[in-house]
Amino acid sequence: MSSTRLSRVAGWFTPRIALARVAWLRTILYLFVILDMHAFVRDTRLKGEHPDLYQPLLLARIFHLPTPSVANTTALYVVLIVACVIGATNWFPRIAGWIVAPAFTWWVLIGMSDGKVDHDHLALVVALWVLPTVKSTSRGRAAYGDQTRSEAAGWAVRCVQISVIATYFLSWVAKVRSPGWNFSWPSSAILTWAIVRRPHPVGEWLLHHPWMLHVMQWVGFIAEFLSPVILWLKGRWQLIGALFFIGFHVANTAILLIHFLPTVVCWLAFAPLERVVPWLRNRRSDRDTGEAEQEPEGSGQAQQQAGA
Amino acid sequence: MGKTVRVLIAVVGIVLLINGSARATDDAWPFGPMSQYAGAVADDASVTFTRISAQTTSGTTVDVPLNIEGAGVARAEIEARTGEIEKDPSLLQQVADGWKKKHPDQPQYVKLELIRDTTQLVNGRVAGPPTPEVLATWEVRR
Repeated sequence: MSSTRLSRVAGWFTPRIALARVAWLRTILYLFVILDMHAFVRDTRLKGEHPDLYQPLLLARIFHLPTPSVANTTALYVVLIVACVIGATNWFPRIAGWIVAPAFTWWVLIGMSDGKVDHDHLALVVALWVLPTVKSTSRGRAAYGDQTRSEAAGWAVRCVQISVIATYFLSWVAKVRSPGWNFSWPSSAILTWAIVRRPHPVGEWLLHHPWMLHVMQWVGFIAEFLSPVILWLKGRWQLIGALFFIGFHVANTAILLIHFLPTVVCWLAFAPLERVVPWLRNRRSDRDTGEAEQEPEGSGQAQQQAGA
Repeated sequence: MGKTVRVLIAVVGIVLLINGSARATDDAWPFGPMSQYAGAVADDASVTFTRISAQTTSGTTVDVPLNIEGAGVARAEIEARTGEIEKDPSLLQQVADGWKKKHPDQPQYVKLELIRDTTQLVNGRVAGPPTPEVLATWEVRR
């Protein structure tokens, strides 16, 4: 490979993106972690009370993580809440972030150490590890409008985007691998099986129309295979791709009662969040001065980054 | 951290993920396969579902809610330990204890049954109502 091609590949991994997007992601994702600890992976402290059911996963064994106890899971809980709140304010976001990343990874490791592993946390966990690598130039409120572009910010955002897409593409790989490396999954009775085990009104109605379930399986199977294309789409087309997969999760929630919110929230890495503050400023200045044509500084710059 | 290091980390991460999806199990989380609902189920499969049925102090029979708010035990834990519970039904005592601890004001469990419901598929359709089979019975110690 020539050196220009290598640098093009390296450039793809490190687009120049405004620090403001990272600031928004910090606030949203650190607050989401607090929600997650209470609504999704919420039995970690309970596992501290019943360590006899603990079956440590590979990472926990490699790093010799202690068996969960009331003391260490309570400490983990308190540390995570405090660090997430600090990180979400964008004051000392890197120190807080370097605490949240290992702490939440451990929290999820314990939560999934009962024989059942969920696959909706990849992008969120990756996001928590890459966010603290980004050095900010402004703190607190000013961070949300910081249009300084950096490759470090772009790399972090790209890593989250790749992890979101990997969640779908690797789900496709698993569907091909699981029946013995073939394409029998989409015409199998997998959704019927899932609904029988978790019955609810929408699903039970669908059980009478297996052809509809097969159509959904084919759509999901093909969409998961094609998902990496979204990484190279721009602007409106990328938005359509994102909305398709969010619709996919709405359908999954209706049929399987599986919401995948920890992955859904990470779709925001694709959104040009750095435009929020210029947009708000623009609206405010319109209202204050009545000059609709006035363009605030930085908005033109932000426009060019759309879809990056 | 330089650009080269960043690109290398991303590439290594992608390789680990692909390797995990191709060869590893859930044990390798977060680098394991995305295997939720990835299995292909045959058109004539029998679908099994494990639940715990309880007789209560008020004379009713209810399905035990297998989650944290209910009996404090997740369904996954019960399903993973079905064989153990069959051999030693006293393990069901913790379900009754869990319910009592969380819901002291409600009717308590007197007798617990671990039940496996089997639903038969024919040509990809549900052939009829599930057939229950009692795997273990436990008279609750109070």
